[in-house]
Amino acid sequence: MSAAMNRALPLLAAPVAFFAAFFAVPMIVVVSSSLMAGGVPSLGNYARVLFDQYHWDVLAATFRIAGLTTVACALLGYPLAYYLVRVVKSPALRRTCVILLVLPLFTSNIVRSFGWMVLLGRNGLVNDALVGVGILDRPMRFLGTELGIVIGLVYILLPFIVLAVGNALAAVDPALEDASSDLGATPFDTFRTVTFPLCLPGLMSGIVMVFTLAVSAYVTPALLSGGKITVFPMLIFQQYSTVFDVNYGGALSMTLLVMTLVLVGLAGWIGNAGASATGRKAQ
Amino acid sequence: MIARLLLRVVSWSVMAYLILPLLVIVGSSFTATSYLAFPPQGLTLDWYGRMLGDTSYLAAFGTSTLLALVATAVALLLGVPAALAIARCEFPGKKFLLSLLMSPLVLPHVVLGAALLQYCAALGLMRSFTALLVGHIVIIMPFVLRSVLPQLTPEQRALEEASADLGARPMETFFLVTLPQIRSGLASGAIFAFISSWINVELSIFNTTAEMTTIPVKLFNYVQYTIDPVIAAVSSITIGVAALAIIILDLTVGLHLLSDRR
Repeated sequence: MSAAMNRALPLLAAPVAFFAAFFAVPMIVVVSSSLMAGGVPSLGNYARVLFDQYHWDVLAATFRIAGLTTVACALLGYPLAYYLVRVVKSPALRRTCVILLVLPLFTSNIVRSFGWMVLLGRNGLVNDALVGVGILDRPMRFLGTELGIVIGLVYILLPFIVLAVGNALAAVDPALEDASSDLGATPFDTFRTVTFPLCLPGLMSGIVMVFTLAVSAYVTPALLSGGKITVFPMLIFQQYSTVFDVNYGGALSMTLLVMTLVLVGLAGWIGNAGASATGRKAQ
Repeated sequence: MIARLLLRVVSWSVMAYLILPLLVIVGSSFTATSYLAFPPQGLTLDWYGRMLGDTSYLAAFGTSTLLALVATAVALLLGVPAALAIARCEFPGKKFLLSLLMSPLVLPHVVLGAALLQYCAALGLMRSFTALLVGHIVIIMPFVLRSVLPQLTPEQRALEEASADLGARPMETFFLVTLPQIRSGLASGAIFAFISSWINVELSIFNTTAEMTTIPVKLFNYVQYTIDPVIAAVSSITIGVAALAIIILDLTVGLHLLSDRR
């Protein structure tokens, strides 16, 4: 033990000191200032956050947008992952698709949201197409609606789900699926009882990733809301950038952080329970 | 059969959805109109010329690049020893340490940005390059660890022991055995780290000023007031940098995604 400690210590000293100084301590500063009001310890900032209906409305909108985004990402991303891993046979085509999937991930949220500002505008390509095909009589308003924000966020977060599910799928031994169909299962049954349960951990980790990123997204909602919709990270930004109330802002930050962590923990717990339940059934 | 067809249609529609906005930006950067038009009307490189003539864009590109390079270098210098200690040594609190180092992945960047603004203000570093740098190092560290840790396998460890048995000093073993073996992890970790820093807005926005700003933050502040083809040209350059990074990654270490690695 002590020999191992002696070897670990010199390797860890610098990274641990750095994370303590520029990650742990700043977070502790935020927590402690959130517990101060007017120079004395107080829970007043949290009372201000939690006893105000407006904050609950903003939180509800934030989590509604994040929830819809996550569901849409899973519904769109799963089929694409399955298609790329199981149906596409040409390695060159798959490689091209992977590059095209990663390209948006390597591009700033700004640039990607900006593309949607152009596409979703009153005279943008989407409205032109919908009116041209006859689905809409006149242009629909997307910018400044929750739908617009969801469209932008789904676009930004979709690759995470496709990669998480796709990597889980690629690790599933196709022999298991062959065995299932040899034993007379229909393709759908095979998917339902073999493939899907085996990929569930990948899907869950993708879902958690997308949900946390959607809840904490600031840029995309800010650009696509047109100032009409407020999400929680915007409140935090306002407090620190214009009002500079670090006590109240700290309480807002901690509220978002705790709510996100609780939901992530819950999702992980449900995912584990679900995975072990299907695992037991399979045995 | 119908299910298969449906799968194909959905998959290609989703691929189109992923590509369309980037195509629109690159396409509209060539428009000859003074507003953003897609498909572009006419063909001109004027907007790129305007961008090059505006020193504030060049300065922001410079800040972004320097920031991403230095942050990546420091993250590697801190992250590789940490990964070695985590993979090789048993010590109390190892799990906690690993979750602490990985937690910037799930922590809202707005919260961390705000925390660093307040903290650096107390240290007298508010809105400085140093304040930006330390934040970027924190958020890109998980990418370095995630790429390097899986490569520090028991087989790789055996080679290090062989090297030591043959009389190599620890430093020689590290540079001649360990480093060459984990280089693909280092390269992909470094590229992911560089790009995550290069595209960050949510963290940077707190500690930038009008004079010292990164390219995504500059775009963000600009796009909220005006949209013109110069923005599309600047955005296209960043898309080009992203494409270049991916191609380098694919050619050097390979994008081992969605394929069976066994």
